[in-house]
Amino acid sequence: MFPGITNNGLAKNTSYKVVLPFYVYAGLSFLVATIFLLFSSSAFLQHYFHPRTLAITHLMALGWGTMMILGASHQLVPVLIEGKLYSNVLAHLSFGFSGIGIPLLVYSFCEFDFGWPAQSGAILINLSVLFYLINMGISMSKSKVESVHAIFVFTATLWLFITTLVGLFLIYNFTYTILSQDSLSYLPLHAHLGIIGWFLLLVIGVGSRLILLFLISKYNNTKLLWWIYSLINIALISFIIIFLYIKINWLYLIPLIPLAASLVMFGYYCYQSYRNRIRKKVDEQVRLSLLSVLMMALPLMFLLIIILFLIFSKSNYHLIITYGFAIFFGWITAIIFGMTFKTLPFIVWNKVYHHKAGLGKTPNPKELFSGKMFYWMSISYLAGFVLFVTGVLVSKEFIIQIAGILLLITAVLYNSNLWKTLMHKPATHE
Amino acid sequence: MNEITNDKAKCELALEALKSLEDPEIGLNVVDLGLIYQIDFDENEKKIYCSHSLTTQFCPMGESISSGILNALEHAFAEYNVEVKVTFDPPWNSEKISEEGREFLNS
Repeated sequence: MFPGITNNGLAKNTSYKVVLPFYVYAGLSFLVATIFLLFSSSAFLQHYFHPRTLAITHLMALGWGTMMILGASHQLVPVLIEGKLYSNVLAHLSFGFSGIGIPLLVYSFCEFDFGWPAQSGAILINLSVLFYLINMGISMSKSKVESVHAIFVFTATLWLFITTLVGLFLIYNFTYTILSQDSLSYLPLHAHLGIIGWFLLLVIGVGSRLILLFLISKYNNTKLLWWIYSLINIALISFIIIFLYIKINWLYLIPLIPLAASLVMFGYYCYQSYRNRIRKKVDEQVRLSLLSVLMMALPLMFLLIIILFLIFSKSNYHLIITYGFAIFFGWITAIIFGMTFKTLPFIVWNKVYHHKAGLGKTPNPKELFSGKMFYWMSISYLAGFVLFVTGVLVSKEFIIQIAGILLLITAVLYNSNLWKTLMHKPATHE
Repeated sequence: MNEITNDKAKCELALEALKSLEDPEIGLNVVDLGLIYQIDFDENEKKIYCSHSLTTQFCPMGESISSGILNALEHAFAEYNVEVKVTFDPPWNSEKISEEGREFLNS
């Protein structure tokens, strides 16, 4: 018995008002990116330092990937740290500053004008990341639980802040000479800080916890996760040192070794989680997320080939574009597809039905989005992805255009399903 | 294992009522999932005390599950006041899933 209790012991979760704007923004960014992609097919057969390529890359990395992750993590980090999110206000500020900063930055890339829109956009994005970093840092410091997953998230956020800070310097370096070389020379550094430091660490940190929850898996291997964490950071730090101070091309194979080892270990972790699951039936969304783990191998393979080309003093733009595409339109997009329809229906269901639970039959959260639309979205996405990679590698613009149409269809289906879920009205089944 | 105290027959009825409530993510009812830790009937006060857990702390569906338990018990025992408490002592783990629950998840 518990007479006199004032609180029923239920922890307060992050409000849907904090999370949903990020999802909407990310969906629209993906749609705009695919429209740009369709009408910029020729750009992908040229050097990657192209206005449209830069614009699409930043739309995908910031507008799509980062905004979605920021939104979802405001909901999921409290689960990882078993503590409350410190501030909703900081989360709203983070959304607002990025929400304005990203279009300014993308516009300036399209126009190839690095004046005030680019500079103010970059400043706003940095402030947004700083708010997020403070929010995560204080939330974690108040938590009583020491979690390897939380350490992944916090370290990833630190790398994100370093990435956006380097980006800010690169923008200013176009107008004022503040770095020893031109901004183009630093792009590989900027890109890998974001890809490895932010996306990879975060996806593994959060994914390693979610996969156990979604599969109800008995597998738990914190030691392996610490190894993965260390190897990724060793890979990134050694890359930075080689890039800034040593500059010998064959040495780039050194960071590739711990990176590849960490991915193999994470693959093993996912496999063991899957093998030891209690829940045998795995839904489409989790399957797509597991597929994205396999898709990590593809950019790694391209990276190895790019380094081998560099060793022989050749630079292959097609390979570099394919590498970037495999990361942003491949790995990150596949994860987001899976996780959107794994998390969003529950957030909306909670909003609409939480007072009605136990009072009769309510729809299952899975019924809030269209499974059929999700299926066709996955098909057009996989076809578009494969065709785009083929088109770039064989230098055929019409294949890239067909891929562009398929990816645009994917984005339309994704956004339609997103809005179908968001607009769900309460209904009680008899 | 669900620990049942007090009036066994009433507790059975309460568990039966709670079997209509599913964890929305897993699709398994909260009883077979092992979330219900204790149900006490206080006949003098006409009160039901129910303590339950969640699969993880800060579970995004926690509020729905908790209010679902409250609603289901209030509906089944209209003459009683219901008090629901969330506990993580001990924390939930997959060992708490019943045989029926395991069969459901295996299917």
